[in-house]
Amino acid sequence: MTTEQPVHDEPGIPGGARSMPFDISVAHQARVYDYMLGGKDNYAADRAAAQAWLTIDPGLAVSCRANRAFLGRVVRYLVAEAGIRQFLDIGTGIPTAGNTHEIAQAIAPDSRVVYVDYDPVVLAHARALLTSTETGATLYIDADLRDPGTIVRQAGELLDFTRPVAVTLLAILHAIPDSDDPHMLVARLLDPLPSGSYLAISHAGSDLMGDALDSLEDIVTQMVEIQPGFRTRQGVGRFFTGMDLVEPGLVRVEEWRPDPAADGAGTSKIWCAVGRKL
Amino acid sequence: MDTVTPGDEQPFPGLGDAPVDAIVLRMLLGAQLRRLREAAGITPEQAGEAIRGSRSKISRMETGRVSFKERDVLDLLTFYGVNDEQTRSGLASLARQSGRPDWWAKYGDVLPGWFEPYLGLESVATTIRSFDSQFVHSLFQTEDYARAVIRLGHQADSAVEIEDRVALRLKRQDLLTRQDPPRIWSVMDESVLRRPVGGPDVMRAQLHHLIEVAGRPRATIQVVPFARSGHAGESGSFAIMRFGERGLPDVVYIEHLTSAIYLEQRPDVEHYLGVMDRLSGQALAPIATRRLIEHVASET
Repeated sequence: MTTEQPVHDEPGIPGGARSMPFDISVAHQARVYDYMLGGKDNYAADRAAAQAWLTIDPGLAVSCRANRAFLGRVVRYLVAEAGIRQFLDIGTGIPTAGNTHEIAQAIAPDSRVVYVDYDPVVLAHARALLTSTETGATLYIDADLRDPGTIVRQAGELLDFTRPVAVTLLAILHAIPDSDDPHMLVARLLDPLPSGSYLAISHAGSDLMGDALDSLEDIVTQMVEIQPGFRTRQGVGRFFTGMDLVEPGLVRVEEWRPDPAADGAGTSKIWCAVGRKL
Repeated sequence: MDTVTPGDEQPFPGLGDAPVDAIVLRMLLGAQLRRLREAAGITPEQAGEAIRGSRSKISRMETGRVSFKERDVLDLLTFYGVNDEQTRSGLASLARQSGRPDWWAKYGDVLPGWFEPYLGLESVATTIRSFDSQFVHSLFQTEDYARAVIRLGHQADSAVEIEDRVALRLKRQDLLTRQDPPRIWSVMDESVLRRPVGGPDVMRAQLHHLIEVAGRPRATIQVVPFARSGHAGESGSFAIMRFGERGLPDVVYIEHLTSAIYLEQRPDVEHYLGVMDRLSGQALAPIATRRLIEHVASET
């Protein structure tokens, strides 16, 4: 049974080929996100980066919480309404309450989830803690989104690519600059998937940042040491070229099928959409 | 506003109706006192003098390591300029409630003072991460294995004392089966599996117990195999405890033969958190860990 015999149970040993070096002196967005969600698995550099961002955009916490809430709604939608049982969750982040497999398996226990991340702290936590129900299965892959070939090949050990798969790329594509051609990367992830598969994206919107855009890009460049790829609504829409967008289309994360009881506290700076492969 | 009856106050909304361990109340009260002291711009030394104590007494109070005298609390609040009667009576009530005896009080004869705070922290932690380089984590020990480990460390003890120590250790394991158990994430060196404490029969039973424990929902066991040990630098055993309340910092616990260190300053904690994350990353994943334990058990 695949649950018991994942072939990649030893990925990403620090110093190995794919894992980032274990360096907590530089902020990483997964840990900044953990901090903004109230987690304690973050380090001084992560909090410094968060504080720097907050001085320019005090709404960061609202955006992070809205993004996390979107994860819950989109996974519930995909399982309960779209009938999806297989997930490829890229940019897993540090496990917290309501991880993808927990949400999916609460509705459909046979749901399978492959998690992908490349931060070594995420690796330590996800590999140990993102374990599954008896009937479903989870797998953690240590890989960079810039290497879709590895992701697809390893995910194929757990996921059946003859049946629909939902690829979730939440708050990660804005960490991929245009020079790495993120639209091509997403296309390559979707390539092997059958019609009826889904793509869910949330993405920091450059056109939602107003005058703060340049300063926020500087903070990411200097403190997270990556080249940010904040995109406009149109740029985010291009990821869904040739797909049908699920209602309500491309909106801010808090506007996507909000729960009736949603408090609507604040406005995020994150676009999102869910598309169905034709 | 609800009516407050003396002795039944809930100065910290969010604690709910469930009976709360005295240690939690002490930690919450300590955190409040620290916040108020810092807001008043008063140093721990000055605060210590105000209640005829020392800097370290203030430190122990603010971290919830000692029980509080109501009079000390009120004197500190006066010194901090806190005159609001509701705050004062709320915190004084908390001091009274936190004075209840802890469950481990009856093991006092075999319980060194430096270990008591650990029991309190362990009993209220929401997550306990540990790295063990010598023995299986106490919470995962079988009775026979625990007895063998305790005998190794207390050769001069009488049989009665040994049994008291064993009983205390097993009693701590009650938290594994309580309604809302903590997550226990235990990373251990492969040598722990290979060291036949108590002889092969005891060790084999212990290994099978580890396999059983690893199948529980809130328990995670990982082994750092020989081939990968040493990457995170020299590190003896240590534990990191985490608490549900956002304002409570993680606490690192390092045990020595006759004392223990508790670290909770953020830079110290982060150093150990980093080592723990690195060790966890080097360790085998839980499924591969189980296979290794099964393999070692078959050889033991």
